[in-house]
Amino acid sequence: MGCLRFLLLLMQKKDSFESLVMEHIRLNGAYWGLTTLDLLHKLDAVDADEVIQWIMSCYHPESGGFGGNVGHDPHVLYTLSAVQVLCLFDRLDVLDVDKVADYVSGLQNEDGSFSGDIWGEVDTRFSYIVICTLALLHHLHKINVQKAVDYIVSCKNLDGGFGAMPGGESHAGQIFCCVGALAITGSLHHIDRDLLGWWLCERQCKEGGLNGRPEKLADVCYSWWVLSSLIMIDRVHWIDKDKLAKFILNCQDKENGGISDRPDNAVDIYHTYFGVAGLSLMEYPGVKPMDPAYALPLDVVNRIFLRKRD
Amino acid sequence: MEQPAAAAVAAEQEGMAQGEDLLHQFERILHHDPLIDEVGFLHPTQFQSLDRSQTGYSTSESHEYTQEYLWCRDHKLAISSEVLPKLYRTARHAYSNSATAKDAALLEPDLMSHSKALLILCPDMLTAWNSRKMVLSVSYDFTKLKDELQLCTLILSYSPKNESTWSHRRWVIKKVSEHHQDMSGLVERESLLVKEIAEKSKMNYRAWRHRCWLISYMTREQVLDELKKSARWNELHVADNCCFHYRRSLLLALLDSHCIEGENSLDFKSEVHLLWKEELRWNEMLIRRYQGRESLWIHRRFLSQWWVEFLLSGEEMECCAAGTSLIDLFLSQEIYLLSDCLNVPADEFGEACIQAELAALYILWISKATP
Repeated sequence: MGCLRFLLLLMQKKDSFESLVMEHIRLNGAYWGLTTLDLLHKLDAVDADEVIQWIMSCYHPESGGFGGNVGHDPHVLYTLSAVQVLCLFDRLDVLDVDKVADYVSGLQNEDGSFSGDIWGEVDTRFSYIVICTLALLHHLHKINVQKAVDYIVSCKNLDGGFGAMPGGESHAGQIFCCVGALAITGSLHHIDRDLLGWWLCERQCKEGGLNGRPEKLADVCYSWWVLSSLIMIDRVHWIDKDKLAKFILNCQDKENGGISDRPDNAVDIYHTYFGVAGLSLMEYPGVKPMDPAYALPLDVVNRIFLRKRD
Repeated sequence: MEQPAAAAVAAEQEGMAQGEDLLHQFERILHHDPLIDEVGFLHPTQFQSLDRSQTGYSTSESHEYTQEYLWCRDHKLAISSEVLPKLYRTARHAYSNSATAKDAALLEPDLMSHSKALLILCPDMLTAWNSRKMVLSVSYDFTKLKDELQLCTLILSYSPKNESTWSHRRWVIKKVSEHHQDMSGLVERESLLVKEIAEKSKMNYRAWRHRCWLISYMTREQVLDELKKSARWNELHVADNCCFHYRRSLLLALLDSHCIEGENSLDFKSEVHLLWKEELRWNEMLIRRYQGRESLWIHRRFLSQWWVEFLLSGEEMECCAAGTSLIDLFLSQEIYLLSDCLNVPADEFGEACIQAELAALYILWISKATP
């Protein structure tokens, strides 16, 4: 697969306007790129110490959160990415775990929802992020899990899907977050699996790719959001996996590597990650298996939860 | 070796001076024309073709260098893409300096001006939005908050899906709502803004999410009014699932409000029933007119599922003379619609085929949803 060459090239290209205006989400980029490398058994191609040093330079010791890059304000979006990357390298020891757990758990609101940062925007994505972060840090007890679950359930629609807030339109990305959070907290019984499975299966388009909402075009990134949700609710056999794998492989840039959103479009790190992650969920040869809830390679998740804790 | 190094330093210094000139001029334009409603990032060749005989801002002070790259007239701003990296870097640097300065209060105007310049170039810069929130939180100033909405509107005009901008906008509205009882005017303008953005940016999840979020600030009359107004728009955008979801949210808000107000609940109930019946009729008309539209059928799933529940809850009271229940009557009408859709002759675009498929899925759905 040409993805590796593309990823390594990307890390050297820092001066174009496109990469300049992406600087605020570099931590997310690091997670996408490094997880892809790990799925392809190539994490050793990067200098772990260098990466960890840079990750920690995005840390805010006063709040306990991470910014998207050095000098950027903390937000849960980047805090989860930082924790996930540290998990990849098995280096959670560099964290002040209590402090980070305090930061994310402190963002829970009275109704059980979570804000993304101190400024109060609420979104079911943030519920997933906080729950996933705390689970990886073994600190889920720091939040009111029951209320968090109740809030997510209040965002369920009549079609079985979930939106960004109560009454928000069902969206595959938001569904992944809600299903993932319910899976991690052992609350999947709140989901009508057949109903949600139906909605998710209707996301498969004629050409095999998945879309994120009705009437939208297929996009490689939904290979991850939809497939992982289907796996968590045990309905993945309802879609045509061969056709989907073909669609993803068709989005590859065969000369320079990388994967795009749709065939013949320009590749980027985001879609490369989601394409490889989607292939991983379909047990594609040569790609490590991925955990559908924690969005990390399975061996990394096992290392965290099966290792004896002191 | 020394000479080339010195030349490089000189070139760098000149570059920095040019960057500062640009930023200064850029911020001056933004300051002089607070009503700018459009920004274009133009390729140098496009930029050359602009009429530069007379620009909107005074040229006496402006540097010749900057005139090559910035242009503003009739509240339209153009920036040459050639200088974007330089302008961005300078704005980023200036913003960082003012954000980390010790004497924050003194530098507040600088912080607002630099963060604004930076956000117009890169609206994703969450940290710059936060700096503005910090300044605006110090004391409540309605005029400043209105300006903030204006800045968001400008950015959304060319970046309609920008998450940080929508989020900042909601923060501003929440601030205003803490000090104003009557939000109806503001909510109406917000709803209109989403409508305008949705015309240019199809199925924009973030924009429609904003509109759904506004419902909690609406009065019952406003909800009814929105329903009435959005019908025509939806008829022109039948492939847009978001606009139908918005109607679903409005309808559910009406159901909610009738639960709250106990006294007139019977009247409200019959009013909502009438609305629902009308929505079903309208939706069927659209389904028959526009073949093979997924969003129309999804809307029907929602309407029918609720309708069956309504009928079930009132079943004992209302029964037809012939002995058939209202539910059976309704379902037989739906099956009649299905058979109509299955019998449409094939067309060259395959729409009849998709229509038949969607109709069959719909009936299957309803059969699962009906106890």
